[in-house]
Amino acid sequence: MPASPRPIYTDPDKRRGLDELAAMVPNGATVAIGGGLSSRAPMALLRAILRRGIKGLTAVGSAHGIDIDLLCAGGALVRSMESYVGFEQDFGLAPNFRRACESGAVEASDSCCYTLVQQLRAAIEGLPFMPIRSVRGTDFVALHPEYKVMTCPFTGDELLLAPAIEPDVALIHAQFGDAAGNLLIQGPPVADILFAKASKAVVATVEQIIPPSELRSLPGKNVPYFYVAALAEVPMGAHPTACYPFHAYDRAHMSLYHHAARQGPAAFKAHYLDLYVHGASTHEAYLDLIGGETICTRLQSWRDGEEAWMRLYDEEAQA
Amino acid sequence: MTLYCTLGEMMIAALARTITNGELVFHGFGSPLAQLAMHVAKRTHAPQMVLIAGATYGVDPQPPFLTPTTNDWVVDRGASCSLDIEELFDLAAAGRMGRMFLSGLQIDKWGNCNVTALGGRRVTMKLPGGGGGGNLSCDAQHVTLWTPAHRSPPDAEGRRRFRLVERCDFITSFGHRDSEGRPRAAYGHVGRGPQFLVTELGLFDFDAEGHMRLAATYPDVSADEIQDNTGFVLRMSDSIGVIAPPCRTIVEMIRAMDPLRIHEKEIREQDLRRRFEIQAQKETA
Repeated sequence: MPASPRPIYTDPDKRRGLDELAAMVPNGATVAIGGGLSSRAPMALLRAILRRGIKGLTAVGSAHGIDIDLLCAGGALVRSMESYVGFEQDFGLAPNFRRACESGAVEASDSCCYTLVQQLRAAIEGLPFMPIRSVRGTDFVALHPEYKVMTCPFTGDELLLAPAIEPDVALIHAQFGDAAGNLLIQGPPVADILFAKASKAVVATVEQIIPPSELRSLPGKNVPYFYVAALAEVPMGAHPTACYPFHAYDRAHMSLYHHAARQGPAAFKAHYLDLYVHGASTHEAYLDLIGGETICTRLQSWRDGEEAWMRLYDEEAQA
Repeated sequence: MTLYCTLGEMMIAALARTITNGELVFHGFGSPLAQLAMHVAKRTHAPQMVLIAGATYGVDPQPPFLTPTTNDWVVDRGASCSLDIEELFDLAAAGRMGRMFLSGLQIDKWGNCNVTALGGRRVTMKLPGGGGGGNLSCDAQHVTLWTPAHRSPPDAEGRRRFRLVERCDFITSFGHRDSEGRPRAAYGHVGRGPQFLVTELGLFDFDAEGHMRLAATYPDVSADEIQDNTGFVLRMSDSIGVIAPPCRTIVEMIRAMDPLRIHEKEIREQDLRRRFEIQAQKETA
């Protein structure tokens, strides 16, 4: 499918409330979720999406964990084109994702990182597809009837063509933003920059909204404002994933989450979903629920040196 | 005085020896044994390897300690720079990635791995997925496979679920031949496929046909025991070696790099108790 003419966003003040951001994700949308594994996932925004009862989403992306698992449990997802959904060797398989795929509630259209990169690149460049040499010989080809194989007119080699992926919305949590929507990502950007450019719109949460002059003086990777439809200042909006330098990964909460998820759908609903997602009508209420200032202070203790940083992983092992 | 090493440390040393100095090496996420092996190689026989960390894509980082998650600023500490996701995969596609580490819940005789799903058309167990393995297994020049769960004891009903299988339910990463037996060369991939497999029972290489072959065992394991835990008839190397334990310097290096013993999360309870006498002399790999 050729890339459609894509809008740009020039409103000088795009600050909105979290619920207004969630309302910008329509039922049935294809969403790209920023961050990866235990880092910078837009969790507050996903919780707001689940509270609104949005359904029928398709997720595209690379390596994810709690974000996709939670969308599965909340009944928002119908298809996953992620390359990995799990909790690494720390907690293992993603229980809600696994159940959803095994029951057929979610169609498991797994992909591979570079295939997705190339598909996003095609969308960014306004092209219908990009070729790759890899993946042929694996079973991903059977899983994706949309892939085509062609003979290269220049070399005679066989290539796999993967069609452009143009997500409807990229959901991104960044460290900083300004009122016009410029975003600044510090640390590994994972696929966020590709997501921002390939999607029809970026909807973002940030730890802090700061003046543009200050934003420009900080190190990191930028998403220019005209890709961004709206943003909200949501401190700890990635919790329980990390958002350095603001806070580390909350392994104790992740352990609580995974334990509840392993107990089955009913237990997960009672002990997690109804409590932390539907039971907290605002992000502020969520922060109170998880322990407020005490948790914030603990997760900031990584700055006190290696011993303190290591303790965050060590003590949480007992959770 | 350190006199013994653990199975994990033996595996890390065996994995490290598969790395050649001067090659660009990448590990994925959830791979602490491979991750530590890369750091050991970089600090011993392969100082000029380019070490790229999974998930952060940090180049030559020196993490102060290992974490149970891979996309963490701890893992990125001291990196000379960080690559974008597209740059890392472009390097591989262009033939610059020398080695990748891959694993699977199923690994077949051709070195194909499955981390996608068990069951056929009807999925009986959905696995997390392979990240970039489907791409990098084709593009990396060499692949080192590993699994710390080769052993497959019978379950309560006496059934064996082998990790090393005749055929994968789903091929997530490509070995030497596809499910129809078509060789890798027919695809014209940039990479040359799996070179070694390190398990908690032995070390394997691949013959000219691309078939897995037992090359060496640990001192406390027999070739018969390895065959008994393998779901296909193993081919044997002309001479089966014994996997050498690491020297004391390397054992102490591993313990310093992984004070939280994160790599032991990969290893099964019974194998955590295995001990091997170590070499007093410095390793000359």
